[in-house]
Amino acid sequence: MSDYLMEMKGIVKSFDGVRALNGIDIRIRAGECLGLCGENGAGKSTLMKVLSAVYPYGTWEGEILWERQPLKAHAIRETEAAGIIIIHQELMLVPELSVAENIFLGHEIKRFGGRLDYPAMYKRASELMTELGMPEINVAMPVMNLGGGHQQLVEIAKALNKQAKLLILDEPSSSLTASEISVLLDIIRGLKKKGVACVYISHKLEEVVAICDTVAVIRDGQHIATTPMSELNVDRIIAQMVGRELTALYPKQQHPIGETVFEARHVTCLDLDNPQRKRVDDVSFELRQGEILGIAGLVGAGRTELVSALFGAYPGHYQAEVRMGGKRIDASSPVAAIRHGLCMVPEDRKRHGIVPDLSVGQNITLAVLKAYTRHTRIDAEAELETIRDEIGRLKLKTANPFLPITSLSGGNQQKAVLSKMLLTRPKILILDEPTRGVDVGAKAEIYRLIVELATQGISIIMVSSEMAEVLSVSDRVLVMGEGVLRGNFINDNLSQETVLAAAIDPAARVGGDIASATPPSERVNMESV
Amino acid sequence: MKELNIKQLFGQYKVLALLIAIAIIWSFFSWQTQGDFISARNISNLLRQMSVTGILACGMVLVIISGEIDLSVGSLLGLLGGVAAVLDVLHGISLPLTLICVLALGLLIGLCNGYMTAYLGIPSFIVGLGGMLAFRGILLGVTGGLTIAPVSDNLVAIGQGYLPAWLGSALGFALLALALVLTWRQRGNRKRHNLPAAPLWRDVVRLAVIGAILLLFVHTLDSYDGIPVPVLLLLALLGIFSYVTSQTVFGRRIYAVGSNMEATRLSGVNVKAVKLWIFGIMGLMCALAGLVNTARLAAGSPSAGTSGELDAIAACFIGGTSMRGGSGTVYGALIGALVMASLDNGMSMLDVDTFWQMIVKGSILVLAVWIDVSTRTGRR
Repeated sequence: MSDYLMEMKGIVKSFDGVRALNGIDIRIRAGECLGLCGENGAGKSTLMKVLSAVYPYGTWEGEILWERQPLKAHAIRETEAAGIIIIHQELMLVPELSVAENIFLGHEIKRFGGRLDYPAMYKRASELMTELGMPEINVAMPVMNLGGGHQQLVEIAKALNKQAKLLILDEPSSSLTASEISVLLDIIRGLKKKGVACVYISHKLEEVVAICDTVAVIRDGQHIATTPMSELNVDRIIAQMVGRELTALYPKQQHPIGETVFEARHVTCLDLDNPQRKRVDDVSFELRQGEILGIAGLVGAGRTELVSALFGAYPGHYQAEVRMGGKRIDASSPVAAIRHGLCMVPEDRKRHGIVPDLSVGQNITLAVLKAYTRHTRIDAEAELETIRDEIGRLKLKTANPFLPITSLSGGNQQKAVLSKMLLTRPKILILDEPTRGVDVGAKAEIYRLIVELATQGISIIMVSSEMAEVLSVSDRVLVMGEGVLRGNFINDNLSQETVLAAAIDPAARVGGDIASATPPSERVNMESV
Repeated sequence: MKELNIKQLFGQYKVLALLIAIAIIWSFFSWQTQGDFISARNISNLLRQMSVTGILACGMVLVIISGEIDLSVGSLLGLLGGVAAVLDVLHGISLPLTLICVLALGLLIGLCNGYMTAYLGIPSFIVGLGGMLAFRGILLGVTGGLTIAPVSDNLVAIGQGYLPAWLGSALGFALLALALVLTWRQRGNRKRHNLPAAPLWRDVVRLAVIGAILLLFVHTLDSYDGIPVPVLLLLALLGIFSYVTSQTVFGRRIYAVGSNMEATRLSGVNVKAVKLWIFGIMGLMCALAGLVNTARLAAGSPSAGTSGELDAIAACFIGGTSMRGGSGTVYGALIGALVMASLDNGMSMLDVDTFWQMIVKGSILVLAVWIDVSTRTGRR
C-alpha cells in the first residue's frame, strides 16, 4: 500500500549517545487521525520534532516519505511549506495582536511598500473562522480577550491558512474546558472530512478514543504497536503504554473522616485587571479531618483563585476568613499559612512549583531548610538524608539528588514539589491540578499518595479539571461556576452529569451552610458525557 | 566529539576558563613589559587596585543572583567615602567611630534601596538609577565640590597598610590547613553517604594547586611590603561570602529567589526580606569600598567611585553570573574583577591611550559573556 500521506521508517534519534528514539515506524493516510500515545518521556515530542524538522535532516537516522517522496527538510520553514504544521502544547500566540494578525504572523498579506493589507487579512481570517464553525469571532479583537478554547482555534486557523495537509496537535486540550474540548474534537472531525490528516498527542485517552482512527503507542523510544481504534479501548491503550495492565489507576481505600478542622468563610476575590468583577463571589465551605474534597468546575470558574486566596497567594484584592480548629488564623501570606499547617501545591508547575536553578534535592528541602541548620550553617548530611528518604517514599525517579530539577520528567517534578510541601507537615493540603501534564504511571502513584495522606489524617482539597479524577478520588465534591459555589455533593457514586449540570447551571448556588450536602442523583454511565 | 568535551569541561568548571584567561592576559602583559608586569611590586599594586571593585563585586554578585541590579553603588561608594573623609578631616572623629558611622550609614541606605525594591515594588534598575544621581548630588553638597584632605594616618592605613611578613606567612599556612581539613571532611561525608567521591588524585592535585598559589601569593607579596590590608579584607570577604552563599539558608534562598521568585514565595519563603537584606549587604559593601577608596587616595574626592557600578557589574558577568539570576559565584566575580584590573593595569603600563583601554575592556566584557552563553549547556 502506498497511499500513505506520510511514512516514517526506522527513525533513530540519539542525544549524547542516549537513544531517545529507537527505530520508530508510523504512517498516516490523508484524512486519518492518528493518536500518538506514550508516557511522558516516551519520545512522542522528539518524534514530532524529527517530523517537523526542528531536528534537521541528518541529525537523525531513518527515512521520512512525504507523499511518496523522501522528505529531507533542514528547517521548520520547509516542512511548513510541504504542509506539515505542528501546534504546540503551549500556544504560540502574541496576546496583544488581533486574531487576524496572529493568523498571518510571518505570512502577512502585504501591499506595495510593505504596508499591511488589513481588509484582505480580515476577510480571509473571517473565512477561516467560519470554516471552523466560529463565525461570531471578531477577528480584529486582540487574542488575549479570547478564552483558551478560542485561542486554540486561532492556532488551528493559522495552520489551515498555511495549507496544512498534516496537523500535529501536541496536548491540545490540556488547558481547555469540557465544552471547548468537544468543539475542538468537532473541528478535527471536520478537518478529517476535508482530507487533512492529524496526529493527536494527548494524555486524555477518552479524547483519543473519541477522535482517532488508529493509535500508535511508543514506550521508552520503542514503537510498541499501531492498532486500529476498532480493536482498542482506554484500558488496552494504557496497557500498551505502561507495558502492563494498570488494574488500579484509582486506589479505592476507605479512610476514616473526622471532625471539621478547617473552614473557609466568605472568600471573595476581585479580578486583577477589572476590580468590578468578582472572580470568586462569597464562597464558604468546611473540611473535615482526613477528608478529600474535590473542587470541580469549568476552567475560569474561580477554583484556582479560591484556593490561592486561602493560601494567601492570590495576587489581587481578596477577602477571606480562614479558620482551623475553630479559631481564625492568619493566612495572609504563604509564610503565615505554612506556619499554621496549611500548604498548597500550585497549578502551574513551571512558574510556581519548581526552582529551575536548584537541584532536585534543594527543591525538596526549600520550604523546611531552617530545620537543618546548626549555627546558621546548613547541615548537608541531615539534609541529604531527608532528601533520600523523600525520594524513596515518593518513588521519585532521579539518578541522584544533585541533578537539576529541570532534567526530570513532569511527573517526577510534580513529586518533588509535592514532597517539598509534605515536608512542612501540613494539616491541610491544597492540590491545584495535581496531575496536569503527568503520565499515567506517575498519576497512579500520586493518587495512591493522596489517599495515603488522607488515611494519616491530613485533609486534602483537590482542584481538578479531570472529572474522572475528581469522582474517583474525592470523598466530597464542590462544584464551582462563575465564581460561586454551585454544588456540594457527597461522593457516593456521584455521576459526571450531576457535577457538570451543577457547574453550568446559572441558577444553582449553595450557601455557606455545609450540612446540606446533596446526595448524588442516580448513577449514569460516565463515558456518555 | 573532542570539542564537545572541552565545552562540557568549561561549562562544568567555569573557573578553569577564567583562570586560563587570566594566565593569557598576564603572560601577554609580562611579555610586552619584559616581566615588569609580574614583578612583586606590580602584583601588589594590581591587587590593591582591584580591591575596591572586588569589594563591590562581592555584594553585586548577590544582587545579580537574586535577579536584581544596583546601579547606585558607584555613587554610594563615593558618598560614603566622602562622609568618612568629612568625619575624619573636618570633625576629627576617632577612627572606630568613623568606621561605625560609615558602615551603619551604608547598611541603612542599602536597606532603603532594598525596601523600595522589595516592598514598594519599584524596579531595582530605577531605584539604582535614581540613587546614582541622588547620592552623587548629596556627595557634591556634603563636600562642596572640593577634595577633602588630608585624612588621618589611621584611616590611611586601611587602604595603604601592609601586614607584617611573618603574619602573612602564618595566614598562608592557616588557609592551606583549612583547605586540607575541608577537603578531608568532604571526602569523609561523601563516603558516609555512599556518594562517589572525586578520585583521590584529583583532590591531591587540587590541594597542590591551592598550596602553590597560596605560597606564590604570600611569597610574592612578602617580598615586596607584605599583604596589603585591602587585599586581606577582600580575602576575608571572599571567605565569608562563599560560606554564606554555599552553606547557609540565606545563601540558598538568594539563588532560589533569583531562579524563580514566585515558586520560592509559594514555598513559604519571605522573599521580600531576602531581597531587603541583599541590598542591605550591598550597602555595607559600598561603605567598605568607600572607606578603602578614601584611605587609598588619602582624600575624599567628589568624583570618587564614578562608574564603579559598571566595573562591579562587569566583574560579575565576566565571572559567569547569569543575567537572569539564579546562578553565579563569589569567587567567579572576584576573578572577573581581577581580569578587569589586570587589563587596566597592564594597558596603563604599556601607555595605551585611555580610549583604547575603554574599547578593549568593553570588548572583553562582551566576549566573556558570549563565551559563557555559548558554553552553557542547553537549559529548558
